[in-house]
Amino acid sequence: MKRNVLISIAALLAGLMGTILFQSNQAHEERDSRDLWEVRTEIHDKQETQQNLYTQIHEAEQKLDEYQSQNNKERIELLKESVQKLKKRAGLTEIKGEGIKITIKPILVNSDRVQEYPEIPPELLQRLFNELYTYGANDIAIENERIIQISPVRDVNGETYVNNRPLPSVPVEISVLAEDAKELMEYMQVSKVNDYFAVENLEVQYQVDFHLTLPAYQQHIDLEYIRSAESEEGGK
Amino acid sequence: MWLTILFLIIGVALGLLTDIRIPELYADYLAVAVLAAFDTLIGGIRSHLEEQFDEQVFVTGFFTNICLAGLLVFVGVQLGIDLYLAAIFAFGIRLFQNIAIIRRILLEKVRYARMKKNSKK
Repeated sequence: MKRNVLISIAALLAGLMGTILFQSNQAHEERDSRDLWEVRTEIHDKQETQQNLYTQIHEAEQKLDEYQSQNNKERIELLKESVQKLKKRAGLTEIKGEGIKITIKPILVNSDRVQEYPEIPPELLQRLFNELYTYGANDIAIENERIIQISPVRDVNGETYVNNRPLPSVPVEISVLAEDAKELMEYMQVSKVNDYFAVENLEVQYQVDFHLTLPAYQQHIDLEYIRSAESEEGGK
Repeated sequence: MWLTILFLIIGVALGLLTDIRIPELYADYLAVAVLAAFDTLIGGIRSHLEEQFDEQVFVTGFFTNICLAGLLVFVGVQLGIDLYLAAIFAFGIRLFQNIAIIRRILLEKVRYARMKKNSKK
């Protein structure tokens, strides 16, 4: 009798442990812990995206209508116009407008120690560009290099290359076009990126300029390795 | 025999009703412990059927097996080797062997009962 009880207790324990393991291995259901405000914000964001998409579809449909309703000559004209527009968007044309001019200068300290002449590291430059785009920049050019969507900024043998060409040593000028240049400048003046530049002994100066001219991107655009992004949010 | 199954069901019911969950980190430990428990349980049933059951061996075996398996997992985690596989392997093989022996014993019993029945007729 006693042995039966012992075996039964062992069975009880085994069963209990097995069930606990089973339950622990069940996938935990993700709880939706957002509050009303967060849900509302998300709905608003999604609606905005939807609206944008509708606008884009509408524009594309209008264009299509125009293509279809016109005769050959006009159609060619229209196509040329479209190509020109797309080239402008891709950064293949010279562009003029209002924006800010950024000057990156070296900070030379009066000290006994030998100071190296500062250079702009590529990560910092990328950060600056990202920050600019975040705060509403439309087009950027550094010295004579237009930054387009696939412009590489990288370190080649210790030198910073933009668009596969070495960047001249500081001072360097960056021209940025934006719809609201003043706002962009105000944002950038308080941006943390200035501190990061200061760590590298570089000073960043901003200045609003109403007549900026950005050069065109001059190299061949190689789209062989470009794939469409999987995510639903499109970048600028 | 029935008591064992009843208690097993009670154990499962208790586990389901209390809704205890353990962190994923310790899932390996529990997995090996469960296997050790089942191994001891099946071994106990086997020795019970073979009339070789020893209470002390059973009780000490139950706890030492679980502790040893846990220790093996712990050492494995520290060394970065999946040592718990060794425990699973050993217990798994023993589990199968014991179940096979239990099956044979039960079959023998059934045959014996039938023979008895036939001879009575």
